[in-house]
Amino acid sequence: MTDTVTSPRPVEGPRTGALASWSVGRRRAKAARDEEFTAFVESAATRLRRSAYLMCRDWHLAQDLTQQTFIKMYAAWDRIRTGTNLEGYSRRVLMNLVFDQQRRRSGSEIVVAELPDRPGDGTADTPELRLALVDALAALSVEDRAVLVLRHAEDHSVDTVATILGVSVSVVKMRTARALARLRSLLGEDFEDR
Amino acid sequence: MDADLRKHFDRAVSDDPGADAGEMALAAIAQGGRMRRRRRQMAGAGVAAGVVVALAVVGGVSLRPEPAEPAGPPMTVAAAMMPLTAPSCSEKPVESGATDVVVFLIPDSTDRQSSALGSTLREDARVADVRFENRQQAWERFRTLWADSPDFVSSVSPKQLVESFRLRLADPAQYKAFRAEYATMDGVGSIVGRVCPASAPVGGVQ
Repeated sequence: MTDTVTSPRPVEGPRTGALASWSVGRRRAKAARDEEFTAFVESAATRLRRSAYLMCRDWHLAQDLTQQTFIKMYAAWDRIRTGTNLEGYSRRVLMNLVFDQQRRRSGSEIVVAELPDRPGDGTADTPELRLALVDALAALSVEDRAVLVLRHAEDHSVDTVATILGVSVSVVKMRTARALARLRSLLGEDFEDR
Repeated sequence: MDADLRKHFDRAVSDDPGADAGEMALAAIAQGGRMRRRRRQMAGAGVAAGVVVALAVVGGVSLRPEPAEPAGPPMTVAAAMMPLTAPSCSEKPVESGATDVVVFLIPDSTDRQSSALGSTLREDARVADVRFENRQQAWERFRTLWADSPDFVSSVSPKQLVESFRLRLADPAQYKAFRAEYATMDGVGSIVGRVCPASAPVGGVQ
């Protein structure tokens, strides 16, 4: 285990002539890229974090997953900034992170969704009801949950969801139907009333 | 029904604690920028193809963000788990005259071995500065470095990473003797020395 990843030495020393203008150009390009990227983060962060939360039931983890999504996107920004549906791309990166997180967890622990017996009297906005939906979501398979979150929390079309998740349209429809039925059975009347 | 569901979801996220998007962008630029540089460096070192091979071995890669690089010398998973050489240091480890040294422990090193080695190093007059990296820290670093390859990261547990001491020698001329002496100590796996400027991180790795 003595081998270590080495890297070529960066250009150092005084920059003159063509090299200097190349360097200034690069700095400007970076400034423009950072500005563009920051605008994207500002527009996308809240929805991504909320979707991540619906997927994992943990605001802290949701924030972490969202941050990881942005890191990856920045690393690939030159390639994706034009000609890529950033909205869809960011969901795809996020969902892959969620799936991966789930796989890693499932190796060491079994996550059992704890459903409260009954979510109170069903009055809107009680913490119980809020939690009930998130807990019910957690009882679904991660794939079904992803479809519900993208389709119904984020309002993407069936086609877009299929593209984001890399599955066929019929799979999305099938999962949506299955997930909704399960959600209904878990939440009962409190869910259907609203 | 769909509209109602939407309301349900909106309510479910109404306790969003919020986060500063500007800060998130800055953090992503810093970390994502490192990832970009690392990719370029890896491609430059001709090891990217090997990484892809290693990834294929440990599991399917979902949404691999970059296409495979042209073929290069194979790179082992073990090498991928090693820290990166700091850019300002000599690329290749040196046999003599090293300013900065990493002492890697054996894979199944015990706490007793690492603490004994740590106190020996701290008492050694030849050592100007010494830092310890435990398995968890090594894993965190590894995870950040390979954040764009989650399948690879998830295939490695902290237990598979080795502990290490990163240190700076007071006098590079003493490296040869230092290395010979520590190489035989209990729990030491390997010793790697590099020539670095004073501004480099201690140990010559990042």
